[in-house]
Amino acid sequence: MSLFGTSSSFGTGGTGVFGSTTTDSHNPMKDVEVTSPPDDSISCLAFSPPSLPGNFLIGGSWANDVRCWEVQDNGQTVPKAQQMHTGPVLDVCWSDDGSKVFTASCDKTAKMWDLNSNQAMQIAQHDGPIRTIHWIKAPNYSCVMTGSWDKTLKFWDTRSPNPMMSLQMPERCYCADVVYPMAVVATAERGLIVYQLENQPSEFRRIDSPLKHQHRCVAIFKDKQNKPTGFALGSIEGRVAIHYINPPNPAKDNFTFKCHRSNGTNTTTPQDIYAVNAIAFHPVHGTLATVGSDGRFSFWDKDARTKLKTSEQLDQPITACCFNHNGNIFAYSSSYDWSKVERHLAWRGVPCMDQSGGHRVLWMHMFYWSFFFYYTWLSWDYGLRSPVLFSVITCCS
Amino acid sequence: MAEGDVEWELSKENIQPLRRGRDISALHQALSLQQEASNSTVCQHRQAFEAELRVNDGEDPLDVWDRYIKWTVQTFPQGGKESNISVLLERAITRFAEEKKYYNDSRYLDIWLKFAEHCPDPLDIFRYMQSKGIGVLLSAFYIAWSEEYERMGNYKKADCMYQEGFKCGAEPREKLMQFHRSLQARVSRHVMSAIADQDSSEEDDAMEIEEPQRITLGELKTRGKKKAVAPINRTGNRVIKNPRGLQMNAPLGPVQNSCLMVFDENKASFVPQEPKPESWMALPSSRAKENEQRPDKWTNIKMPQKSRFGQVIRAPPSRPNFQPFVEECDLPPTMTPCKINPSVNLVLSARKLCREETPLKRLQSHQQQQRDEGRAPEQSMYCKELLFSGATEFCFEELRAERFRQKYRNREGSDS
Repeated sequence: MSLFGTSSSFGTGGTGVFGSTTTDSHNPMKDVEVTSPPDDSISCLAFSPPSLPGNFLIGGSWANDVRCWEVQDNGQTVPKAQQMHTGPVLDVCWSDDGSKVFTASCDKTAKMWDLNSNQAMQIAQHDGPIRTIHWIKAPNYSCVMTGSWDKTLKFWDTRSPNPMMSLQMPERCYCADVVYPMAVVATAERGLIVYQLENQPSEFRRIDSPLKHQHRCVAIFKDKQNKPTGFALGSIEGRVAIHYINPPNPAKDNFTFKCHRSNGTNTTTPQDIYAVNAIAFHPVHGTLATVGSDGRFSFWDKDARTKLKTSEQLDQPITACCFNHNGNIFAYSSSYDWSKVERHLAWRGVPCMDQSGGHRVLWMHMFYWSFFFYYTWLSWDYGLRSPVLFSVITCCS
Repeated sequence: MAEGDVEWELSKENIQPLRRGRDISALHQALSLQQEASNSTVCQHRQAFEAELRVNDGEDPLDVWDRYIKWTVQTFPQGGKESNISVLLERAITRFAEEKKYYNDSRYLDIWLKFAEHCPDPLDIFRYMQSKGIGVLLSAFYIAWSEEYERMGNYKKADCMYQEGFKCGAEPREKLMQFHRSLQARVSRHVMSAIADQDSSEEDDAMEIEEPQRITLGELKTRGKKKAVAPINRTGNRVIKNPRGLQMNAPLGPVQNSCLMVFDENKASFVPQEPKPESWMALPSSRAKENEQRPDKWTNIKMPQKSRFGQVIRAPPSRPNFQPFVEECDLPPTMTPCKINPSVNLVLSARKLCREETPLKRLQSHQQQQRDEGRAPEQSMYCKELLFSGATEFCFEELRAERFRQKYRNREGSDS
């Protein structure tokens, strides 16, 4: 892939990331925006699984809708379809065969969206808003797992209106992740529960939180044999904990690191601490990406315990992120995450910002010399439009 | 209604009495819910209250707190940790600690009185309230304070409280007078019965101090000259501190109040010297301390690999790469060698005094923080107060969902 050259890594048109003089905080990474963005903050993003040819991106938003785009190889996005809920959508996920999308909403229901027929039907009901939804594919069963603010975790066979199983949690579910046969749920009041999904879901262990502040996001990582072995947990105060389930040396293997903080070296001004909004692991390399309220995203290597890259600061918090199935594309959404509630926000119109076309920029990754990064990014401008941005990482063969 | 009665009958002792009595239908509902062990409606209700607390920007935030507390008290008849009532009360108090407009609001006073009931030393709370001026214009304050004194047997002080109330012009005046009258009646009855006892037991007066004879469920009275009355601590809705209980078994002395009092025969009265109402920095403690310790390092023991005296004490290797020779008479090598050298007294090193996190300190540090605003080394860039303002925490999405729901309701309201 020599489209963009291998020697000089900064920019095709002299607009390199590091050499840029104009500070465009709306799109500092100069990425391609996704067209037809949702009208309100994006709450979740999910790329299609490998069983589906091509790359399709699903994004749920606070405008009660779920949208689907096709991401083409040249980086252009094509809006494909949309479904509505009666309340803001909090989480989305794909089925393993890529034919269905599951969406969870504040209206206490979860729906199954069949992409072929573009029909959505309700498959789950809770007593409170559903915060997380995941598809579980086990050898002897498959179901949808929903975690809700009504303190229950329910498992649904999509054909039946009653849950297959309902597990009680000590507190409201704030975030969850599933990689068969392990599931992790982080709850309010710093609760952390690991479930094992073999045979049937059951609670495996309750873990004392490695973090001191409210849990915000969690993502499971796998070991070299592709088995889930631990998880990364992010809090609302700029810290991520890496926790292994059965490490040989817990004190040494588990650790936390600070992230999404500003004014790090300057000791006179107070350090601003931002929430970590989402964590995603690269499916191939195992590096993790974190996005925060400070409007930056960062890449980290948890084995080497180093930071690989931090982006420029966007003008808004980044609320969600995900990698596609082979790790070529990284999508992130920049929109207001309600970290600082301001009453006038989002209910009055603010003049729409210009959506610049955005050039592509490539630059060499420090650690993986064969990487080229492109980014396109998503930005939200206070309720009027929310373009989706994503970055394209192409691996040099 | 018959089934409802059964539940009430079966769990009488678990229900904490309320001064005003309980709403019987709410009580039945609460008890039956607990029977079914289903608490999703309760959970939802509570979530709704928490959300309302954060979203409400009306003129009267106290109203939400007031309703929330009343609902909690009705729904959790046993009180206790599940209801979160003590946390709730404390939060409510600190939330409005600086708002003078509520100081003489009867609802706010109500919350304070409930809080005082949960404290080991209500008198402290009352004194604090007086120094701050909370509730000083309301009769209920003086009534509650005087009842506390009465409970401790200090009738003189109890009477004083009413005088104080009259002096400050507490409202409603008739209520104050009515309660005062009934106090006087009780006092006179008590004095009469004491005199009667004294008359009948003059023969036994030879002994100076006698062990108090215990009447079941009655007040402990002394025989003899001392007019002290031991405090009876029947478990009501107060958190009883253990030392008090111990005092019951000891021979009686004039120890009713927390401050030490040396009995002076020359002084006729034994009114304890009350601490002057100094300006109170913060509230007294409210919780049973043994349940509220912060997780802290248990000991500062370190497990040395090598002892300080040159002997190498190594942990047994997990996987020896040779087969260790084991004699039959030897103990199987499952016992780990003692890693603690007894002369190195690490185990018994003084436990670090864990900072007692009493509400007093919390309020102090909160005020300190407010003063130090802007000088903090770290600043959280999110709406911390909103997230943590209720009894439980909220996340950003919950806040936002609540706003959304409000907006939706308003829109629905305006449409219809």
